[in-house]
Amino acid sequence: MTISLAVPDILVARARAGDLEALEALYRAFETPVYNLALRMLRTPEDAEDVLQETFLEVVRSIKQYRGEGHLWGWIKRIAASKALMRIRRNQVRATEELDEESTGRQVAYAGPEHTRSGSVAGVPARIDLERAFEQLSETSRSVVWLHDVEGYTHEEIAELMGKTVSFSKSQLARAHARLRRMLDAEGAAR
Amino acid sequence: MMHCTMDDLLALKENEASAWAKQHFETCPACRAELEALYQRIAALKALPVHRPARDRWPAVRDALRVDQRRRRRRWGAWSLSAAAGIALLLLIRPGPGGRVDAAELERMKQQSATLEAELERYDPDARVTSGRTAALAAALEDRIAVIDGELAQVGTPPAPVRRAELMKLWQERVDAMQQLMTVHVTRAAYVGL
Repeated sequence: MTISLAVPDILVARARAGDLEALEALYRAFETPVYNLALRMLRTPEDAEDVLQETFLEVVRSIKQYRGEGHLWGWIKRIAASKALMRIRRNQVRATEELDEESTGRQVAYAGPEHTRSGSVAGVPARIDLERAFEQLSETSRSVVWLHDVEGYTHEEIAELMGKTVSFSKSQLARAHARLRRMLDAEGAAR
Repeated sequence: MMHCTMDDLLALKENEASAWAKQHFETCPACRAELEALYQRIAALKALPVHRPARDRWPAVRDALRVDQRRRRRRWGAWSLSAAAGIALLLLIRPGPGGRVDAAELERMKQQSATLEAELERYDPDARVTSGRTAALAAALEDRIAVIDGELAQVGTPPAPVRRAELMKLWQERVDAMQQLMTVHVTRAAYVGL
């Protein structure tokens, strides 16, 4: 993602003072990365937009608590990730079909390079294939993959955000990658 | 031949692999290719296209923020309102130009208003997502309540003529507006007959 996330200190200071224009400028600066993060973690654009709104409601209400320690995007990103995970928990309570996908996920352990077809590098995807395969993962798996591999969170941080153990985060990541690899392999073989 | 599992590959990537995995990896071209594929998959994930929201959610955030600000102002004014209401009650329970008020009935109305206010506080509508229209409607109702509060404060000012019917009507309007506000928050209604 190539979006500039640098925000002038004066803008943050004005936002902390409650200046509505400055708050809107912050919203405009971080609207896309927050939405994109939420969209990668959740299933639907509507859910991602709701998380965007919930995130900024919290940002505008608690910007005074942001002391300038660390990058502002890191602070906002943590709020967004937390809101998205809350929504995932709510969705999981509502949708029992998640369980079906989880049970399929148990069969995806990487079986070793003997499944690699000769003449190709296994699991290296074209962009559209990867995006489609990524969308097939459960929201929990997607969240772990995205937070760890793209946003750079450690397993300890993910575990804390999710209220789970470090082992849970690690095993989710391994299972998700094994499943991605298998799906991309299957897609490649079908061509 | 036993190869590295995905757990092993991820552990190798993070320099946390077991001695066996490290040793095997050094001598197994297939597992080296798998790790390279893993790196490439992660790079491809990072390069996925950026999506932008279809709708602008700033108006809803801004409206909620304005409601917050109004609410804070109302809380700030609550002390003066309760003081004024106290004075009004003192004036009403003795004979005056508007006659004697049924103090019990007035107290009941005020109690109902306080209960609704407490319920609205507990409901915490700000933590929920609402549409722009619903937020605007809630803001309009909050404004109306603020106006009624202002009128109640005026009625309670000693030099003002105090009439039982006027005071009761204002408290009734306050209760009605709060009930409508509660309906808006609970049902996300975009219309309550305003």
